[in-house]
Amino acid sequence: MRFSVSSSDFLKKLQVASGAINPNPVLPILEDFLFDIENNVLTISSTNLETTIITKLDVVADEGGKIAVPAKILLDTLKALPDQPITFAVDENGSGIELTSDYGKYKLAGDNPEDFPETPAEENVDHITLDAWVLANAINKTLFATSSDELRLAMTGVYVQVDFNKIVFVATDAHKLVKYQYTEGIDSEVTNSFIMPKKALTLIKNVVTNESTVKLSYNSTNVFVDFGDTRMVCRLVDAKYPDYNAVIPVENPNLLTISRKDFQSSLKRIAIYANKTTNQVILNINDGSLTISAQDLDFSNEATEQLSCTYSGEPMTIGFNAKFLIEMLGILESDDVVFELSTPNRAGILMPSEQTDTDSEHLLMLVMPVMMSN
Amino acid sequence: MRAILHLDLDTFFVSVERLLDSRLNGLPILVGGTGNRGVVSAASYESRVFGVHSGMSMKMARQLCPEAIVIKGNAGTYTKYSKAVTDILKEDVPILEKASIDEFYADLTGMDKYFGCYKFASELRTRITKETGLPISFGLSTSKTVSKVATGEAKPSNQIKIDEGFEKPFLAPLSIKKIPSVGDKTFQSLCHLGIKKVATVQQMPMEMMESVFGKHGKAIWLKSNGIDNSQLVQYHERKSISSERTLGKDTIDVYKLKTIIRAMAENLGYQLRKGQKLTSCITVKIRYSDFNTHTKQAHVPYTAADHNLIPKVLELFEQLYAKRLLIRLVGVRFSSIVSGNHQMNLFENTAKTAQLYQAMDGIRNKYGERSVYRASTFGAKTIGNMTNPFNGEPPIVLAHRTA
Repeated sequence: MRFSVSSSDFLKKLQVASGAINPNPVLPILEDFLFDIENNVLTISSTNLETTIITKLDVVADEGGKIAVPAKILLDTLKALPDQPITFAVDENGSGIELTSDYGKYKLAGDNPEDFPETPAEENVDHITLDAWVLANAINKTLFATSSDELRLAMTGVYVQVDFNKIVFVATDAHKLVKYQYTEGIDSEVTNSFIMPKKALTLIKNVVTNESTVKLSYNSTNVFVDFGDTRMVCRLVDAKYPDYNAVIPVENPNLLTISRKDFQSSLKRIAIYANKTTNQVILNINDGSLTISAQDLDFSNEATEQLSCTYSGEPMTIGFNAKFLIEMLGILESDDVVFELSTPNRAGILMPSEQTDTDSEHLLMLVMPVMMSN
Repeated sequence: MRAILHLDLDTFFVSVERLLDSRLNGLPILVGGTGNRGVVSAASYESRVFGVHSGMSMKMARQLCPEAIVIKGNAGTYTKYSKAVTDILKEDVPILEKASIDEFYADLTGMDKYFGCYKFASELRTRITKETGLPISFGLSTSKTVSKVATGEAKPSNQIKIDEGFEKPFLAPLSIKKIPSVGDKTFQSLCHLGIKKVATVQQMPMEMMESVFGKHGKAIWLKSNGIDNSQLVQYHERKSISSERTLGKDTIDVYKLKTIIRAMAENLGYQLRKGQKLTSCITVKIRYSDFNTHTKQAHVPYTAADHNLIPKVLELFEQLYAKRLLIRLVGVRFSSIVSGNHQMNLFENTAKTAQLYQAMDGIRNKYGERSVYRASTFGAKTIGNMTNPFNGEPPIVLAHRTA
């Protein structure tokens, strides 16, 4: 088995696939790429048993064949080479690999391709196709809200709900919650839901950007993400997602509209003076003005700022973790945001100000306040 | 040169009791637990003649001094009187450390020129006794250690001044036990080495003490030589709050034990919320009847909510109590404390829970800590301490216990 390929094209594909390789895998074979050549097409696979990435590349090959190649040494070699055609050859035993560049030869030992774990089969799947930017956007907007608490497995991933003509992405860590909904061009024959693990989503986010559309195929155990000539197979989080709709307060009579940038930068300044562990800030909302304050008794630090805003509702004092608010405001993009509140003990809803139910894109963020003592 | 004043209220608990009831004057009095398991927290000088001292079991004290009047004592009253003394001191003294409920340090450095430290201290002592009616003693010297030892020598109701340069000769003839931080165990080890007087330590090279007792040895050597540069601690930051209970009778009644620790967790949770604090480390302690003590702790996300604390405390207790042995003592401690309010959880029906806590805490603020409690803690008596643990003052530690 022998093939020739441009070193930079080769490297680009390998870097995409390397995303699924963990630094210290449980099995040695998981440090390898699996190369499979058929009809002048090289298929590169990598896996960490949770996520598998499969990508394809046109090469000039003499025959078909398979081999497992240590990823790190191959990547390091290609990174150190300027762009040029290189030749990749496997000896008769099927274990010795020889790379040839303009500068010389590099030999490394390959592994038995039979040891490489099998990719999960695509059985009983449902499909949905959406624009790549929608998926990237959805991941960007939700990923930060996922939990890292392994005891609540469901919350470590993003909940994806496919509902005929809309797709909903939800993430929560029980303190904050994000719901991103998209409707345009979504067409599914079924309604279904699954939880995608955080790690796989980070990978998708990094590689999906240059594509135009993404196809999601899913069954009860895996989701198959196809874009361009790359496929990602992610094992789904096997847990029941909490009923998030039930915790979104319906009646929120108190509406605060405020410039997103002003709100965020004020919070950033005030948070410097808040307790470093709790990041607790107090919002004091009155007609037309929002007072943000924080104090850290241990160091006698204290700060207060007043912002102008539009507010309709009862005057209210409510406490939040500033870190959550800053994060959420950073994710939003609109000039103004609406903060819907009901009571100091109930979740606040943060949304872009110009957003209607008929928009193809709908974003809602929920944040839980801290329990104030009277 | 520094001038450090150490003030100590003489037999504080007894003095307070006498203030409340003058008939007790001149009689042998014991303050402490009245039950079987009670311990003497304070003994009047009249009873000390019989060999009674604080820390002794009440049973033994009564045998030694059968005519003594035993008083249960009330921490709230003592706190009140202690505060009265603190207020007077705060008015007059530039830097004050409240080391415990009946012990104070004051830094009078630089006042010599204007008032005369000793004169000032004497007047202060007279004023305190006059205004509160409580006898107080003091020691004045150049460091905290020497002043504390001096106060001990001055007692009862007297004062001592150790001039600069006379610290060593003052300490030399005293028993090594008088040096703060030398407890019973260290004293015993020192005795075995033939060291009974401070003078012996003063004559030894520091390295020798360090090689035998390590860091602690070095500290003892320095103190014995009157070297102590430690500063006054003006504010005691509470790093943990805890509650423990020695049972009237050893038990294996898990239901009763659980009721007690549940009540402790509930009460400590209220204290946290009242002080706007959160904890992230929960410890449960049990002591078996053979005095073997076991603790188990767990880290949790910062919380002050009973519905997080109580189940965790019970879980720890269940993990810890696996022996089916008689239990003598149970305790609960919350540490890793930070300021802040509880971050509510979306999926815990929180609005209602928060309102419940606010309502319950409101009632407690108005009518007392045990005015309202969970039915599951019904029957657990006298849990709670009536004071705000986060006011910067040291916890009320009974005289015989080390904090």
